[in-house]
Amino acid sequence: MARVSVAWSNLLHERTRLLVAISGVAFAVILIFMNLGFMGALISTATNFYEQFNADLFIISTETLEISTSTAFPRERIYQVAGIDGVERIMPLYSEYLLWRNPETGVSRAIFSYGVNPNDPVFLMPELQGDEARRILSRPNTVFFDRLSRPEFGPQDIGTTTEADRRQATIGGTYTLGGGFAADGTLIMSDQNFVRYLKPRPLNLINMGLIQVNAAVSPEKVAETMDSLLPADVAVYTKPGMIDHDATYWLEATSIGFIFSMGVVVSFVVGAVIVYQILFTDIRDHLPEYATMKAMGYRSRYLFKIVLQEAILLAVLGYLPGLAAALGLYHLTAKATAGTLPVAMNGGRVIFVLGLTLLMCCLSGLISVRKAITADPAEIF
Amino acid sequence: MFKPQQTSQQFAPAREDLAVHIQHLNYFFGAGDLSKQVLFDISLELPKGQIVILTGPSGSGKTTLLTLAGALRSLKDGSLRVLGKELVGLSDRALVGVRRNIGFIFQAHNLFESLTASQNVEMAVELTGNFSSKRDQAGAMLSALGLADRVDYKPQSLSGGQKQRVAIARALVNHPKLILADEPTAALDKKSGRDVVNYLHALSREEGCTVLMVTHDNRILDVADRIINLVDGRLESDSSPNAFIQSKQGDPTDVSADMFIM
Repeated sequence: MARVSVAWSNLLHERTRLLVAISGVAFAVILIFMNLGFMGALISTATNFYEQFNADLFIISTETLEISTSTAFPRERIYQVAGIDGVERIMPLYSEYLLWRNPETGVSRAIFSYGVNPNDPVFLMPELQGDEARRILSRPNTVFFDRLSRPEFGPQDIGTTTEADRRQATIGGTYTLGGGFAADGTLIMSDQNFVRYLKPRPLNLINMGLIQVNAAVSPEKVAETMDSLLPADVAVYTKPGMIDHDATYWLEATSIGFIFSMGVVVSFVVGAVIVYQILFTDIRDHLPEYATMKAMGYRSRYLFKIVLQEAILLAVLGYLPGLAAALGLYHLTAKATAGTLPVAMNGGRVIFVLGLTLLMCCLSGLISVRKAITADPAEIF
Repeated sequence: MFKPQQTSQQFAPAREDLAVHIQHLNYFFGAGDLSKQVLFDISLELPKGQIVILTGPSGSGKTTLLTLAGALRSLKDGSLRVLGKELVGLSDRALVGVRRNIGFIFQAHNLFESLTASQNVEMAVELTGNFSSKRDQAGAMLSALGLADRVDYKPQSLSGGQKQRVAIARALVNHPKLILADEPTAALDKKSGRDVVNYLHALSREEGCTVLMVTHDNRILDVADRIINLVDGRLESDSSPNAFIQSKQGDPTDVSADMFIM
């Protein structure tokens, strides 16, 4: 027969207290999940435009922090790798902020502009495919405008004419991309227009090199070969690597990571305090019984185990409803923000938060167990 | 200022027929200048199979003596042998081992409210490692105490006397050779108190276990083989119940032989 589970019986005996404890843990779990969810969603909005880049490998300067804070590097770098086995196509990408004037208010705002060779399939947006798009892109002083740009940039209708850096600019088409964290809006224009607007910018200094590789080879392999060939002023990334590079920047070099990590820490502490309170009250109520057990010949280690078991049971019992509620809230958030805040669960987070919850409850258990350990059997006579 | 007297007392060798053998025991509460002596040079021999009642006014050190004999406090001075084991100078860990051979009955029942009567008793059996038979052992002990139909009840649905009997079943289930009881009948009515005492009496006769009981309850003095009176930390008298009652004649809180069914 199994041992009498004192931990389980004690928890079940006080139904109300158990319910409060479970809600407390679940609440902390939800808070932690929401903080991590928002952080993950923000990071993914900061980098999800990369999904629309029609490239397998990215070459950037080692000084580039993220896409909008890039250092230009010689165009020769992409020519140097063009001959490597498996490389299908190399495409230069120019990018820079440009002052875009709202034609209605006359106010100018910095908009993030991409310059591409009209013949290169740099982007995957359907509006930029085909001969017609290429023709429009090749027109002088004509740009494609991002529909996800902030409304402050003014009307987005095709044919709208305004000024960009004291030069006339006409919207020749629109697309949907989004500017991530850095940019309030984006433009796409031909490389010829780009050097006109951003004079004296030469065409032989590029901000990013995009490389398409043959489906038969692995991008990682090709990236390795490139790394060994290229000088140290540039670095090669695969698409996931590139996304990771930018995400790391946003997480570590800005306050975003700090803010949400702080949220996680606060939730953790709140949960720990709730569990501590519950366990402490439970121990205090059962002090004579614990002392009796010690008199009977149980060691402190056994009491230790009871409290720790209670803590772990609370962690698991609170985690499950917390996870379910968090999934519901993720769904609700994604729906309420019409997908602009793509809050989504992933396996790593499920396990990470479970570990965090167990840690939280065990820590509280360890703090509160001191009371049980000090139960002196000589005092209950 | 009392200082523990480190005298070169000669302690008698261990004797097989004694459950508890106390020699020149001094005990202090507190440390350093604040220490207060509560037991003074106690020497006491409890042979196996005896029921000994420890009585005396409040604060006379009865309970302290009981907890010392129960290996619940660590000792430095004198000699205290329980079931053949010298407790003076033992580590806390070794004291726990000694306690496993002692049955404790407290004034309060101290049962886990969340566990059934049987589970509360099984907790004690688990200490011996008999997991397969623990339910049977607990059931048998509860039946012996007249609780056969209350085995799966939780303490809250038991009466005070029944709860105390569960606590006694827990203390006795491992058949300890020494039972220490502190006011076991204080919370009970006359009949339940009598039942409990009768059971202890029967057990000590059948199994030869020694019972050391602290009580103020005059109704149960008759079960004792000896009555020890402790006053201000010193042994005042050690006598048979009858002699004890004689000595108390004329005392306002009178005890008389008529109170007992002897």
